[in-house]
Amino acid sequence: MADVAHHAPGLNGSKQPFPGGKPFTPEDEAALTDALKRCSPATVEAAIKFRKTGDPAYVPPVVIGIIERFAEPDQRAKLREADDDLRIIDDLGIDSLTMMEIVMLVEDTLQMSINNDELRHLRTLGDIKVFIDCKVRGVPPPKPSRFLPIEHIGVVMPIQPPFLFLNEATVGGSGATAKYKITGEEFFLKGHFKDNPVMPASIMLEALGQLAVLYLLEGGHGEEGKQADPQTIYFTSCEGVRAHRVCKPGDTLSLSIKPKRFKMPLATFEGQIRVGQEKAVFAEEITLTYGLRDSAVEPAPETAATAPKASLPAAPAASSATPARAAVSAPAA
Amino acid sequence: MSFPGVRPDRIVSKVYITGLGLITSIGNDAASVTESLRGLHHGFEAHPLSDCNGALIHVVGTIKEFQVDSTDQEDWVFPKKYSIKREVLRCLGPNALFAYCAMQQAIEDARLTPADVSHPQTGLYAASGGSPFFTHHLHERMNKVGVMRCSPLGIVASIAGTLNFNLVAHFKILGASCGFSSACASSLHGLGFAYEEIRTGRQQRMFVVGAEDCNTDSILPFAGMRALSLQSDPDLASRPFDVARDGFVGTGGGAVVVLESEEEVARRGVKPYAEVAGWGQASDGYNVAISHPDGVGLHLAMKLALKNSGCSAEEIDYVNAHATSTPIGDASEAKALKAIFSNPATRPAISSTKALTGHGLSLAGAMETAFCAIALRDGFMPGSAHISKLDPLCEGLNIIRATLPAQPHVVLNNSSGFGGANVCAVLKHVG
Repeated sequence: MADVAHHAPGLNGSKQPFPGGKPFTPEDEAALTDALKRCSPATVEAAIKFRKTGDPAYVPPVVIGIIERFAEPDQRAKLREADDDLRIIDDLGIDSLTMMEIVMLVEDTLQMSINNDELRHLRTLGDIKVFIDCKVRGVPPPKPSRFLPIEHIGVVMPIQPPFLFLNEATVGGSGATAKYKITGEEFFLKGHFKDNPVMPASIMLEALGQLAVLYLLEGGHGEEGKQADPQTIYFTSCEGVRAHRVCKPGDTLSLSIKPKRFKMPLATFEGQIRVGQEKAVFAEEITLTYGLRDSAVEPAPETAATAPKASLPAAPAASSATPARAAVSAPAA
Repeated sequence: MSFPGVRPDRIVSKVYITGLGLITSIGNDAASVTESLRGLHHGFEAHPLSDCNGALIHVVGTIKEFQVDSTDQEDWVFPKKYSIKREVLRCLGPNALFAYCAMQQAIEDARLTPADVSHPQTGLYAASGGSPFFTHHLHERMNKVGVMRCSPLGIVASIAGTLNFNLVAHFKILGASCGFSSACASSLHGLGFAYEEIRTGRQQRMFVVGAEDCNTDSILPFAGMRALSLQSDPDLASRPFDVARDGFVGTGGGAVVVLESEEEVARRGVKPYAEVAGWGQASDGYNVAISHPDGVGLHLAMKLALKNSGCSAEEIDYVNAHATSTPIGDASEAKALKAIFSNPATRPAISSTKALTGHGLSLAGAMETAFCAIALRDGFMPGSAHISKLDPLCEGLNIIRATLPAQPHVVLNNSSGFGGANVCAVLKHVG
């Protein structure tokens, strides 16, 4: 129940150079320093600089510093090493109520207000950074990322079991992430290798390619009234592939792809796979070819009701596939 | 622990006290509390409580080793052995912190495993008046900066059920749980109903918890009803049954009493402090805040408790009176006691340990049950301190002014609360 400094409530976005809409006084600085008293000195310094200059470059260290202050001490190392895919709830163990505390302190520090609906969609460190950055600049934040359970993936993807290597995915404007747990039941593991099942690197690239396909279909990419046609998407090339780690049954692959460029009919992504914090595979470029169709022709099904469930793979990771946003919703009274 | 397969109401188990946890003005563990009770060392300090006109109240039964006067829980100082994560701490008011620490003590004292604590047959009943301190802070902040800038945990840290919310969640209690709200009778009500849970086989083990803040917000409002002592001398302020008593001295803290069934005591091979032999309750039906002048509700509660436990008034060796040091309340209890213990040949020793601790409000019943359990185990009866001239109304009662080094066998513990709620519990020595 930390008391936090508060100046001008309800400012949406900032009027630079003074985010509070008025000059930053020594009293403001004292209040800010007090509000951030459990944050690192670097965080306090960045916050003061932001309040003095309104320069968005200071926002990420402030936000990360505030998240760090609320994380349990044994989790803080993760945050320091983290990339933007670090999930606040799943990876850092921060619950939805702590998330509210973080938001309140961010609001007070950066002099902005964030409503619950906006908050609900922020899952990863990257989501938060992008969101706050947009708020500070006064531009609309990108479309929030969406969690897609296996039922949804199975319905929209042209690729089907037993050759589908995504258990769950999250697709947003800036890329997509997914999980795949190697069960040991994959048919090719019988022969790869003899008495030593190892996930083939080529299949891991395939999984990244599949996530890129999902991004094309679900990421909102396309022209007005058009969307990627699942019947037209094919693999064309990949570059700069490095495999760092042998992946075996029991490992859960954390996949992520980021779009690099789109030039019809080609879409190029960067992709990587981790197992926990360990790097497994990196691909500098994975390029797909695709075509468009009218959005209205065959809209993607909205629910899992139409999914041919029987044909879907048994996906252990999908059992935890309650939409992540539920975890951020308000607790029962 | 088995799940009884027969109708619960047909099972009758004895109920034992097997563990205690104490954060009180007279000590923060059973050993130091025992020493204070035997030596009649009070826990009062000069500690002014001020309203807008300045300090009116000068003495408080303070909780030592705890600095919890900040609304930011991360500023709090408390003994290092209670390590509490931030995500837990942020949900606690001072009362819940005291209760949390007392809970850890009680679990250790009763030698319970995590599996014993988190079990469908283990429940928790708690009593507190909430944390007016945090309610005050929350409302002030809400009006100043808006509700969306208030702590999301403000409610659970402040409302009356805060102890059960917090303790049930953090200690992973799976059995019965709820809160009791009968003011100063609350935690003895909790004990009575926890006893019923075990006696009837619905639960095998119950934690009974009482805790209160110890600050201006929790204590000073009682001055408005002229219930607090205005004395500035810590050695004189709380003197139940003294003719010059002028009100109670406020205190806070936390107390946890572990109750267990015969079956569990045998299975775990522990030696209980005492047996809870029965209890009774009755109401005055008289006034919202003033005790019935003849103590009719308390008289009936004691009568029912004796009947429920199968004991006669003659068997009682010691009574831990509710007596808070208010002129009306003590007089009313004295009359009720005289009516119950009418045989001058078998008068029990009577004392009010509030002369040492101050009045812990919702905490009182659980705390004083713990004191009785200690007295029964260690074989002594704590004296009623600070009496220089006994109120003539108490003539005929054996109010002991010094601690008696004699083993009590059956004791009564009384609690009375606002609205004329009266509860009495009977505890027995375990040989």
